[in-house]
Amino acid sequence: MEPIIETKSLTKTFGSNGVAVRALRGIDLTVERGEFLALIGPSGSGKSTLMAILGCLDSPTSGSYAFDGERVDGLSGAELARIRNQKIGFVFQLYNLLPKASVLRNVELPMLYAGVPRKERRRRATELLERVGIPEKAKQLPATLSGGQRQRVAIARALANRPVMLLADEPTGALDSKTGHEVLELFTDLHRQGNTILIVTHDLAIASLAGRQVEIHDGRIAEPGEKVA
Amino acid sequence: MTLFSGAFRERLRNSWVEMRENPARSGLQALGVILGVASVLGGFSISDSQRRRADQLYVRLGGLDKLNVQPNPAVRDGRPTALQTANLGLRSQDAIDGTALDVKKVAGASVVKFARTRVRSAYGDQERQVWGIGGEYLATEGYEITQGRGFSSQDVASGAPVAILGTEAAKVFFPFGDAIGQTMRVGDVPVTVVGMLDERVFKFRKSGGNIFRWRNRIIAVPSTLVTRQFEGDAYQRLDRVTFKLHDVDAISAFSKTLSNLLKANHRQQEDFRLDDVAARVRKRQQERDAYDVIFALSGVLSILGGGIVNVNIQMASLKERVREVGVKMAIGAPGREIFKEFLTEALLVSGMGSAVGMLAGVAFSKIITSAIGIPLWMDAKSFLFAFVLATVFGFLFALYPAIKASRLSPMEALRYE
Repeated sequence: MEPIIETKSLTKTFGSNGVAVRALRGIDLTVERGEFLALIGPSGSGKSTLMAILGCLDSPTSGSYAFDGERVDGLSGAELARIRNQKIGFVFQLYNLLPKASVLRNVELPMLYAGVPRKERRRRATELLERVGIPEKAKQLPATLSGGQRQRVAIARALANRPVMLLADEPTGALDSKTGHEVLELFTDLHRQGNTILIVTHDLAIASLAGRQVEIHDGRIAEPGEKVA
Repeated sequence: MTLFSGAFRERLRNSWVEMRENPARSGLQALGVILGVASVLGGFSISDSQRRRADQLYVRLGGLDKLNVQPNPAVRDGRPTALQTANLGLRSQDAIDGTALDVKKVAGASVVKFARTRVRSAYGDQERQVWGIGGEYLATEGYEITQGRGFSSQDVASGAPVAILGTEAAKVFFPFGDAIGQTMRVGDVPVTVVGMLDERVFKFRKSGGNIFRWRNRIIAVPSTLVTRQFEGDAYQRLDRVTFKLHDVDAISAFSKTLSNLLKANHRQQEDFRLDDVAARVRKRQQERDAYDVIFALSGVLSILGGGIVNVNIQMASLKERVREVGVKMAIGAPGREIFKEFLTEALLVSGMGSAVGMLAGVAFSKIITSAIGIPLWMDAKSFLFAFVLATVFGFLFALYPAIKASRLSPMEALRYE
């Protein structure tokens, strides 16, 4: 079975007219199915840029990237949108829920873009809210929920289209340690159920929960042992 | 089918939520459309109502399919030439010749010769105008006989001393009613009343006066009676000849041949003048068309102004919504979907705006027409025009913000603060 992520000498350069910033300088990374991987590194290391490319939110300047057995570097915006929709579930630091839509509708949204029929959407969204432990909040607006509950909604939304990978960007960054812990437990549960999880963090305690840590430093993957203080 | 697919319904629903959540913003966006639609609809319906009222007036005057011929002094200044002196003017032979000119086209002809004379009865004694009528005069002028009879061809041929009265004349000369069979003196001639006419009433505006009032003053006698006993001569000169045609469109062609005929009859003197009622109405119609263009233009301008404001508001609101667009893109909405969402929202706003604008336009025209005092008449075409205008401009002005939103990069949109 092919790996879920396979990149070869991935680079990303921002800017033009001489003031180019080389955010990524050749990333070779392979993530196997069912892995729980933590991407760590200080701010400015390029880990957010890498996350964006791995999440098909952005395209690399050069190098190759195969996601779920499919070459995605050089795909059009609409094709990348389809991959994000069908195969990747995003969880962000600031939840990024739509403030004017109910919790249920937030969870339904990815399925709406995927063309899932209304009844099926409703059924699956309700089921997902049960799975993340907040079925009673379905009709409420995100603003009425606590931070931890909002992040659970975001996780339910990320799972909506049964993605092959969950991509979490500092998922506990805005939470207190107790609720942060609960959310992380949810991730480890999901991993145990066979989901591939890629978590981006600068918190080494969180990273230690993952099966493997990959450290980014100056746009490159740091060699094991070459720890940055 | 795709128009009403689930995705479209969802977009419409989201747009509705977005609109309801931002009433002030949506209201401002819709305002330009509302004003534009209301001004187009209001302008058109006021203009249409006036036109319709005028049309009703002409129908009541006996229709548009009429051609009037009146005498026109050939000598404007200086001494008349021998030819001009010898000329006979408009006379009853002209009516006969004109009718014979095109028997198929001409439905009828009527003549009138006025005389001013003293009119007396047992109850009244006044200096009055007397109508000497012939041919189909009553019909071409829209009169109806309510009592008694009209003039027979015998009456007209012999110049019989008979009269038909309008309601006002009947009231003056026979205030106790039952004028039929009674005798009155027109000049020195005793005439018998044989018919009564209906009362003519037409108020252009509800509060205005009856503009047909003078028509009820009619005292009609056969034209031959006037030309023989009061004014005129053996040639039976007339004050007016009216030809009624079967077809309004045939008038201009007929008027040319008629003009040639009359000129030949009148020794090549233009001592008559043709007055085409339909042409007069057409001219007024053209004037109104000019107003319609102005109304349409003012509507377009207000929608244009509103549309520019609208684009501004949408661009400002797009700034607030960049993050939202980013989230939607991250969870898999392609640019196309974002474009459709923004467009749906703008079209919903302009659709609601045009509905409100139509209500405002109807209310506005109702107020204006009732202030003028004419019945309100609205043409379905005005509604259609206003709606198409609002939709087309709503669409055009929604395009730029929608394209702008759909081209955002998902990563940058997500990071937008």
